[in-house]
Amino acid sequence: MSLEERELEVLIGPQHPASGHMRLVAKIDGDIVVELRPNIGYVHRSVEKLAEVKKYLQIIPLVERPSLADTTANNLAYVMAVEKLLGIEPPPRAQYLRTLLAEINRIHSHFYGMGIHGVMIGSSTAYMWCFGDREPLIELAQELTGARLTYSYIVPGGVRRDLPQGFEDKVERVMRYLENRMPDYFDIYFNNPVTRARLEGVGVLTKEDAIKLGVTGPNLRASGVPYDVRKAEPYAAYPELDFDVITEEAGDAFARVMVRVREIQESIKIIRQVLKNIPDGPILDEKYMKMIPPNLRKQVEETGHIKFPGVFANLRVPAGEAVARVEGGRGEVVFHIISDGKMSPYRMRMVTPSFRNVILFEHLTKGARVADIPAIYGSLDYFPPEADR
Amino acid sequence: MAVERTIRHIKALATGAKYMLGGHRLTLMYPDDIQEFPDGYRGMIEYDWDTCIKCGLCAMVCPADAMKMYVSKEESEEGKRPVRRPGINYTRCIFCGFCVDICPTNSLKFTKVHDVAFYTFEEQIYPPEKFREGIPKPQYDKEPRKVRAVLDEKRGIRYEPVE
Repeated sequence: MSLEERELEVLIGPQHPASGHMRLVAKIDGDIVVELRPNIGYVHRSVEKLAEVKKYLQIIPLVERPSLADTTANNLAYVMAVEKLLGIEPPPRAQYLRTLLAEINRIHSHFYGMGIHGVMIGSSTAYMWCFGDREPLIELAQELTGARLTYSYIVPGGVRRDLPQGFEDKVERVMRYLENRMPDYFDIYFNNPVTRARLEGVGVLTKEDAIKLGVTGPNLRASGVPYDVRKAEPYAAYPELDFDVITEEAGDAFARVMVRVREIQESIKIIRQVLKNIPDGPILDEKYMKMIPPNLRKQVEETGHIKFPGVFANLRVPAGEAVARVEGGRGEVVFHIISDGKMSPYRMRMVTPSFRNVILFEHLTKGARVADIPAIYGSLDYFPPEADR
Repeated sequence: MAVERTIRHIKALATGAKYMLGGHRLTLMYPDDIQEFPDGYRGMIEYDWDTCIKCGLCAMVCPADAMKMYVSKEESEEGKRPVRRPGINYTRCIFCGFCVDICPTNSLKFTKVHDVAFYTFEEQIYPPEKFREGIPKPQYDKEPRKVRAVLDEKRGIRYEPVE
């Protein structure tokens, strides 16, 4: 063996290099990354193909599974596409409830991303704090939907449950808690010189590249592109709500974290508006409400828990195509459904934000140091199962 | 710049010390403490044998093939034609609650139990006769304290004992 200089190939993963099952194939020259290629597909679960043999309602839990932290976005986007084919529009109260859950989910999804990022760069404190502070939000979502993460809350024509009693108070308490705690987050983590040293100027994505590569979500907005599906193509109750699209100019890992922090603050604003302006009324489309037997309809009004009409078991959707998109916590979620009038879709295409952001691994790590790989990885809030589907 | 950095270091350490001494804890001390879940929690499912009309909607809507219609032996022999009743397989159940929501006679109900351990795979399959007997009672070495999550402005989440 000679002592000539040569590149070294390092395999990181797929057994959890930090978070998520994916192998990164890195070519390094000393401490500098020459090339880093993500080896995706390790947790591919063929969601799209499975959807072709499942009935329309059964696909709801299926599309939720790939994204652990961000289930509402997938649930909502899928149901919106189905509703377009069915030609129904959910009642206003249901729209507000969808928005409420989507925003609660966005906050805890951002906490999840920041927590994982924290532990990747060695700050266990940030990890513990973020995961701890997800808990009140998960508790809220659990009270609303009955489950911690996989809510399956949004169904064609509306939502499954109305607001529980005293829910507004609880939400307000949690929102105040988050606001109280935010300054401490800055003191212990975001403004910590160690964090700044690890993240500032690392993995810079320019505005032009961000657009050219088709990046989405907070990663795009951190490069100064004010693009948000909630504004670009408003859905649910967003047209009636007042909020800003958060952008940062720097485009580095720190800017990506800052976008998430500021979006949490923006989501708090949205949740308050939702609870203030939520209209009264039914939470399921009239057409389906009528199909529920009369004695059960009374029960639904009393408990606020929807009973499904029998047609939901074998929901038939008229032939056609529909596309729906939603701004999830990690970025834009797109569903394209082609129906041939049978009980299952002919084809379902699911485009997740992580799938679109995975290209950044190769782009951002070129010339970076090996120790910066986790700092960049975490800042992208990339989630392998979501990208692999 | 160096001064600024030093101040920030001190702030971070001070915040850490504040929380260390402040007793800010979010942990649920499971299994010594067990959380009482809110109403409507989607746990294991109870089955009412008498009100069930055997329509099969629960089996039809189940996204995981956990709920299935089984031939109920005694009834089938009595009536001399196959009678089918729902049974559930907890190795497959994903607790989406679709079966409960679609049941037209409220014969299926949520319970708040979700943490049950089984010795074998087969024990987790509940054919109708076993399904009607209800869910297994969770067993504890030491009787746990029941707590409820209280959302709090200062602490985020507190677990308070319930009577």
